[in-house]
Amino acid sequence: MDALVKLLLLVLALALTGAAPASASRQYATIDYYVQQMIAAAIAQDAIGVLTFREQLENLRRPEEGDPWQARPFNQLGQEQLTDGRFRQALLAFRQGFIADPTDPEIADHLGLTYLRLNRLKEAERLLVYALSLAPARAATWLHLGQVYGQMGDARRANGAFANAHSFAADQPRTIEQLRQLATTDAADAVRIGALQALQGLLPAPAAGVAPAISPLPQSPAEPAPFQPVPEAASKPSPATAGDLFAALRRGLMDLAKPTTTATPPTASTPGTEAPDQDNPGQRIYRRGVALTCLIVSLENGKTSNLGSGLLASPDGLVITNHHVIEKARNLAVRCGDRESVARVSKRSRQPDLALLTTSLESSESFAFDPTYNQNLIGLEVFVIGNPYGLESTFSTGIISGLREIDGVRYIQISAPISPGNSGGPVILRDGAVIGVATMGLKVGQNLNFAIASAELIASGIFDPARMKVSR
Amino acid sequence: MSARHYWMLALLLAAGPASMPHFAHGSEQNRFYAQQMIERAVAHDETGVAAMQLMLEQNPRPAPLDAAVAQAALRRGQAALQADDLDAAMGAFQQAGKNDPGNAEAFNYLGLVYRKLDRLPEAEHALLQALALEPTRAVAWFQLAQIYALMNDVRRARGALANTYRYAQNPMRAEEILRNIAENEAADALRAAALETLRLFQLPVEETIVPPLAVNPDIVPIDKLPSNPP
Repeated sequence: MDALVKLLLLVLALALTGAAPASASRQYATIDYYVQQMIAAAIAQDAIGVLTFREQLENLRRPEEGDPWQARPFNQLGQEQLTDGRFRQALLAFRQGFIADPTDPEIADHLGLTYLRLNRLKEAERLLVYALSLAPARAATWLHLGQVYGQMGDARRANGAFANAHSFAADQPRTIEQLRQLATTDAADAVRIGALQALQGLLPAPAAGVAPAISPLPQSPAEPAPFQPVPEAASKPSPATAGDLFAALRRGLMDLAKPTTTATPPTASTPGTEAPDQDNPGQRIYRRGVALTCLIVSLENGKTSNLGSGLLASPDGLVITNHHVIEKARNLAVRCGDRESVARVSKRSRQPDLALLTTSLESSESFAFDPTYNQNLIGLEVFVIGNPYGLESTFSTGIISGLREIDGVRYIQISAPISPGNSGGPVILRDGAVIGVATMGLKVGQNLNFAIASAELIASGIFDPARMKVSR
Repeated sequence: MSARHYWMLALLLAAGPASMPHFAHGSEQNRFYAQQMIERAVAHDETGVAAMQLMLEQNPRPAPLDAAVAQAALRRGQAALQADDLDAAMGAFQQAGKNDPGNAEAFNYLGLVYRKLDRLPEAEHALLQALALEPTRAVAWFQLAQIYALMNDVRRARGALANTYRYAQNPMRAEEILRNIAENEAADALRAAALETLRLFQLPVEETIVPPLAVNPDIVPIDKLPSNPP
């Protein structure tokens, strides 16, 4: 009975005082409070405020140290995978590293950055805020946190975090350059605005060279990082065989139905055609995408044996398609827009069903890939360009209906109608980035079609991610 | 939580020990409180969990019969565990617990060995004993969650995982462990429990992708689709 009396008294005491015990989530709330105060002080250009709250963070009780020896290899592995654009694998590696040693601010920062790359912004924010509790003056972490807030659409906090990145940076000119880059090229409006505001707060005159940054998003993705040249032998098909194949290609293409208009997008100056509506996303995507979408013709003994689609993935003429499109081809010919080339299989993979073709179709433009793969995609409008039954450059639309993992491969289920001949073609988001490669369909039902997710393509290694434009 | 809820909680708790057989007191009663910590955690009732924790912490620890023998047995058990000699480890940890019934570590290890031996009810019993002695022992809560998951009891696994997170020395590390389980664990029950725990604390986690589909013979490359679908 003693115990019961004690319990009743205890419960009564708790009820009367309303005192809730300290919880695990309060630890984070405390850290977050100080970090937010540092951001607010930075926005107000209050250096003393920043210093005060930095000290508060530094005075918090340090978490128990982990095992740095166990953590280090994971960190190394994660960095390699992050550089290669293998974000999911990087996440697993950094997580293991973080679990082994949660007191290493670099690992916590890398984990946060990986979440940012995966567009998992809440997790990214939490990890980066936590990393700042370990090292409140770590400039790289502030820079990443600024990008997270910008991606969240919060330009104000992005500005504050960027300002802190600059004030704590050991190499301030480099940070200014990084901010300039963000202010001019980042795809998210709030990142650009936040970076620009931070620069304006830092520099006496308006930030040179970044004035026009606050403008509507460019319709096409920003210019990619410089691409590495492809070795000549790998990128250029032998000219000796090109003549024969072109002739065969022309014969093959003669048999195919062609669109009534030329594959080159119509322009305003074309007589008898109306200028496309600039605000219509479908027209905009078609005009840009059609020249980058390819018809792939498999030839056997000079005759067309199979048709498919592909997408131009790099300025040096690399084309991505499905493995099953080229599986039995003896010779391959490719037409992207109004240009033709023979093609050679550079890489192929049955699972995921992808192939990389080398062509001579150098181009100033190529598709960018969106690495997103989460439930937020569902419901987004998508556009498909391809060559169903040889009907060149057929354009269709639909939505993303679901995410499916089949035999370990990540697919995007789409409602856009596709048919034989669409295989290997791009599935495009409203911003022009490719979200998947049309690959499969369900024989029964209506418009239950599947595209290999760009995230899977990026992770597959079929195409060097360094040469790939990845939209962010 | 309103005052009415506190009284209801008190009555609920009072009913538990009162309904126990006359001889069942002490450790039985403490295990009951540890179980209540799980129930309160499932209900996300922090105050209730804290009340049970305080109740357990107020109990005096049983005095060791022979602390030196218990320590020696504990070390022997650890060595046997390392050598994967589970039967020897079990015997040693049992001896440690008998000689020092207030030694939470001994019961924690005993629970671990029972789990490895697939003796789940005994593992649960030993871990509850460890938690009755030391209710903030996060590692024991985590092991208990694994036991419940193996028993396919997602609800109690969730409660135990919630207490793992609540008492974790580094909550951010615990959060990341939970996310790792929620996204990568192969065992459904544990994965589901981790996911629910993250949601319980409103912690971010990637929305689960639909589970991998069994191979569907109707899904074919586009080029093999029939010309005229039904």
